[in-house]
Amino acid sequence: MIKLVNLAKHYDGLAAVDSLNLEVQPGEIFGFLGPNGAGKTTTIRVMMGILKPTSGQVFLGGYDVERQPEEAKAISGFIPDRPFIYEKLSGLEFLQFVGKLHRVESVRLARRILELLERFELVRWKDELVESYSHGMKQRLVVCASLIHEPRILIVDEPMVGMDPKGARKLKDLFRSLSDVGTTVFLSTHSIGVAEEVCHRIGIIQRGRLIACGTMADLYAQAQTKQGNLESVFLELTQDNSDDGGQPG
Amino acid sequence: MSSIVILLSPFWLSWKNDFLRGSQRWRRRWLLLALAIAFWSGIYYVVRRVLLYFQSVYDLGPSLAYQLLLIILLTFLSMLLFSNLITALSNFFLARDLNLLLSTPVSTGSFYYSRVITTILNSSWMVLFFSLPIFAAYGTVFGSGISFYLWVAIVLPLFLIIPASVGVLVTHLLVYCLPAKRIRDILFFIGLFSFMVIYFLFRFAQPERLVQPESFGHFLQFLAAMEAPASPLLPSSWSAEVLAAPLFKRPTDQGFFYALLASYALFLPLVTSWISGAIYLTGWSKAQESKHGRRKVEIVESALDWLTCPFPPVLRALIVKDIKTFLRDSTQWSQLFLLIALIIVYLYNFKVLPLDRSSMPTASLKTVVSFANLALAGFVLSAVAVRFAFPAVSLEGKAFWILQTAPISLRTLLWSKLWLNLIPLLILGELLVFLSNLLLQVPSWMMMLSLATVLLMTFGITAICVGVGALYPKFTFDHAAEIPTSFGGAVCMIVSVAFIGAAVLIEAWPIYFLAMRALNRGRSTVPELWVLAPSLLGVLALTLAAVITPVRLGLKSLEQLKN
Repeated sequence: MIKLVNLAKHYDGLAAVDSLNLEVQPGEIFGFLGPNGAGKTTTIRVMMGILKPTSGQVFLGGYDVERQPEEAKAISGFIPDRPFIYEKLSGLEFLQFVGKLHRVESVRLARRILELLERFELVRWKDELVESYSHGMKQRLVVCASLIHEPRILIVDEPMVGMDPKGARKLKDLFRSLSDVGTTVFLSTHSIGVAEEVCHRIGIIQRGRLIACGTMADLYAQAQTKQGNLESVFLELTQDNSDDGGQPG
Repeated sequence: MSSIVILLSPFWLSWKNDFLRGSQRWRRRWLLLALAIAFWSGIYYVVRRVLLYFQSVYDLGPSLAYQLLLIILLTFLSMLLFSNLITALSNFFLARDLNLLLSTPVSTGSFYYSRVITTILNSSWMVLFFSLPIFAAYGTVFGSGISFYLWVAIVLPLFLIIPASVGVLVTHLLVYCLPAKRIRDILFFIGLFSFMVIYFLFRFAQPERLVQPESFGHFLQFLAAMEAPASPLLPSSWSAEVLAAPLFKRPTDQGFFYALLASYALFLPLVTSWISGAIYLTGWSKAQESKHGRRKVEIVESALDWLTCPFPPVLRALIVKDIKTFLRDSTQWSQLFLLIALIIVYLYNFKVLPLDRSSMPTASLKTVVSFANLALAGFVLSAVAVRFAFPAVSLEGKAFWILQTAPISLRTLLWSKLWLNLIPLLILGELLVFLSNLLLQVPSWMMMLSLATVLLMTFGITAICVGVGALYPKFTFDHAAEIPTSFGGAVCMIVSVAFIGAAVLIEAWPIYFLAMRALNRGRSTVPELWVLAPSLLGVLALTLAAVITPVRLGLKSLEQLKN
């Protein structure tokens, strides 16, 4: 469902992402883990067509993001790390706007909006301007927007930033339920707990390169450790380069 | 004092860092500097020519130059008042650093004075920039020597402080007194207030008196009126009085007027500081409480639905979103007040134009004035388009990711911006030309030619503004009004003025030909098709180039953002 082929992104000669090869299957929740500045956000921005790769390709549902961007985006949803949205639209208007961009038929759109607003407890606030929403409410609204067209792929960048425990629980449940109906979830995070709890497979990126990838068992094997948790595996795998710092992500 | 310096440090440190570290922007800076010098020289040259012409008028020269100085200072004063109102609101009540600053143990006095200083600097630098070549021209034409420039140096700071203090005071009182449910209500009043101030100040100046000496009955009466300010209670008149002494060697009460200016420039900030100390926190608190809530206006929603129904769904969604955002963002729509003031003053000028007193036959003169009106309308359209169409792409701001990740092409986005801005600009342009031509009573062929030319010009200007806006987008901003003042805004203005100039030049020959023919025959005749068609086709070709090139460049630049 998601395929990255020799993906590279350089900024002024510095490799933010380097020779990244990855494949994520339908219905899989893939955790993309890495320290700050490892290249997670850059990878995601290239995947969503916001940035052009220096080389390599990204395929979403078989569509090449660079050559068939509209088709690739039509089947994908995106949740960014910071919920910048139109402050002067109401929550309802914002969702209607995004739905129309995705060409969702109007009756279906109305039903879907209500469903999502109820699910994320925003019905009461639907007619308020976004500027009056709290950070968590904006985050929930962005989640609603990303799901408005029932995407086959959901790409998420640092989903838990600013979320209260209840919101975070809801989001984790959402990822699981999406996975159950065959939606692929690509989850970038530096929160090891989240990755450990919901992801089927985890990839660890450091200095733009994928240094480990697989199930929890695979990662334990790669880290040559049989005990502890993902945190110790992560620290073990990333320690060699820990002093080098990272690149702008 | 030291805390004022600390509070001001982010302002100048940001400026310094931007200047020193933005090494890759040197090319842009040189270009800006070259533009500034060209603009400065242009202003100097035009004002000097006008003053030299005035000087050639026997006895009346200095009086005319004095009246011009009064009008210039009055215009500056009104611009400063408006700009200070907006800047003070932003600096005192909307700035992003206020939460941080107000949570620190800074005295209200230090906070107030640091904000007043930044308000003055932010809102007055442009007036200062434009005023210097004008004063330089006055100094050289009237050979007044170093003393005039010294007087300018000590008068200008006082002249800038007074409107800044008034702006800060009015903003404080509005935020404090009004039952402010939303900041936009306050901006509405500020807009309305500024509009009235500009309008009344302009009327006070009575510029039409300069061309109607007979209305004074006697020449000496006219001369006396020319040597006295029309509104003696305004700081602009006091400044003019102070500067008139070294300039025209006139025996004015220079010391008295300077003392008047100085006392107000010292007294007003002090009074405002007391008032600010007493009411600022209550006002600030009100402004915080008023950041939510929404009024749903059903009639607006239905009107939008009806107006946008011819567009395809995606384009329609983009247009409706932009209109709603515009209507709900007071920093955007409050600029409409300036537009209304501009139209009224524009049309008023045509009403008072003394065409019947010219030695040239009225028919020829009307053709020439109507043609000049095309260039002027084009210039007004450019100024408006730079304010509204140029920021169209930038206004997506940090939410641009939504469109980048949506299944729509950037071409669709850019065309939605173009259509959205084209329609109101077209209405404005056609209305300006139609009404001013109506006031001029031009022949119907001239009316048709003007309307057709403005139609083409508006297409070109809108495309230039939207295209250059995409070429130089500014996605991070505090205030929508700051987008047009960026580097891209300057480029946009230059390109659209060049476009208007080229369009006018193309049509100049047939108009010259027709005006001369009317002059010879003593009446205006309907021109043959061969006279007008080639130039109209030329303007059409130019417009096509002006639409296609900037849109393509803008599109390419938005694509480049992906790199």
